[in-house]
Amino acid sequence: MTTKQSPLLYDKRDHIAFITLNRPQVINAFNVAMRDSLWSALEAVRDDPDVRAVVLSGAGEKGFCAGADLSEFGSAPSQHVARQVRFERGVWELWLSIPKPFVGALHGYTFGSGMEMALLCDLRLASQDGVFGLPEVGLGMIPAAGGTQTFPRQAGLSAGLEALLTARRYTAADALQLGLVHGVVSRDRLLGTAAQWAGQLTRLDPQVVGLAKRTLREGADLPLPQALELEMRLAAQAFSLRGATDRGHRRSPKTQAAGRRQA
Amino acid sequence: MLSNSIKQTRKGAVVLLTIAPVRATVEAIERLAIEISDACRQIQQDDAVRVLVVIGSGSGFGPDTFPPDGFTSPEQLARLRIAAPVAAVDKPVIAAINGPASGLGFELALACDIRIASAAASFAMPHLAHGLLPWDGGTQRLQRLVGPSRASELLLTGKRLTARQALDIGLVQRVVPASKLKDATEELASKIASYAPIALRYAKEALWKGTDMPLEQALRLEADLALLLHTSADRAEGLEAFLKKRTPKFEGR
Repeated sequence: MTTKQSPLLYDKRDHIAFITLNRPQVINAFNVAMRDSLWSALEAVRDDPDVRAVVLSGAGEKGFCAGADLSEFGSAPSQHVARQVRFERGVWELWLSIPKPFVGALHGYTFGSGMEMALLCDLRLASQDGVFGLPEVGLGMIPAAGGTQTFPRQAGLSAGLEALLTARRYTAADALQLGLVHGVVSRDRLLGTAAQWAGQLTRLDPQVVGLAKRTLREGADLPLPQALELEMRLAAQAFSLRGATDRGHRRSPKTQAAGRRQA
Repeated sequence: MLSNSIKQTRKGAVVLLTIAPVRATVEAIERLAIEISDACRQIQQDDAVRVLVVIGSGSGFGPDTFPPDGFTSPEQLARLRIAAPVAAVDKPVIAAINGPASGLGFELALACDIRIASAAASFAMPHLAHGLLPWDGGTQRLQRLVGPSRASELLLTGKRLTARQALDIGLVQRVVPASKLKDATEELASKIASYAPIALRYAKEALWKGTDMPLEQALRLEADLALLLHTSADRAEGLEAFLKKRTPKFEGR
């Protein structure tokens, strides 16, 4: 280890990239260094064909991420800040463009930017002690990593208005009921279960998973008739991929059996 | 005769708009619409007002729907809207639903950002049974707030939801005993009023407008609003208060 601790850890096992926010002494507050590392990590996820799913978690006991590091983002001169905001958006845009599935493993405090990063994941698993919220308006801000849009798209406009305007805190049970998270487990099972979810995703055809993500994301933005057309087009693409795989399978009985298990 | 179906009460930065029971007739609603619209315009322009609460007096929340006889054009119907002027306020609006909200009353509740219901509240969209359609935003806001599945159910069946059922589908955010409705609402309102006013308005805009945009454009809207906020004195105050671990004092600048 160097004396300077890395703000983000990246590890790869069994086709899963494990990204860990690593500033536990400040509950993984999101700062410029972490953002830069996240940028590189996301590029690695995008470009490495060996990565089929991602698990995102936070180091330390207290929480996944308590929000943006205000000591850093606040002190910058305004023009610099403005430039940063533009750049930050680039990170979120890069994230959204990646066709691989992300599983968020959320423990303890998941606030502000932390909540927003969680919302950029496709599946979210919380530990029982998880606490969630978007407290920005109490600080004179609004969420700026997509939260004003991703929260209502995941949990509904009605819940979104309450979350943003009242800065309410949600327990893991609340979050599960709202559909903000897809499962709740005990703290000691959090990472294991998240890895299991990701593992299941790695056993699917990565191209089909990518198409599935696209059909939901792009379809949500289209009028229904066009969305249905998109679905059919992508389904046909998946079907032709499957045809190609099946032809491959005929040459190899072993992979054919594996293919059947996936079906 | 005039200006007696609504009452404005000011408590700090919160305005309580109380709507008395009015008969569901063209004349009465046209008058009520003018009163609500005047009040909302004034509230919108008054920077010292940070949160609006809409509540019903008596047993119900707002008037029921009614056949708008003689009003056949959209322009004419527009004069019978009580929810539209409330939705045009860009500050947080809380509906305190004290009793049955049916027809126009339900549409009024849907134009608010947060709904708190007393246990006596209920919600219904009975228009179809009278050969009518909602005209005050009800169909559109309902499906945006609780999803198209629930909206179809409520519009097509006219089914009345209890407060508890409304909570379960996320239509209301909280249910309290009738005797506590006003206190609970005022408590929430003053909590919201302690937050930064411009940030609240931008958050409201990002949520309602972003819903109708493709994600990419919506994220751009969010980024633009966040950048604009960077120039506000309140943001600097919020940061400083956070770093010094004190309570921020926001002035809406």
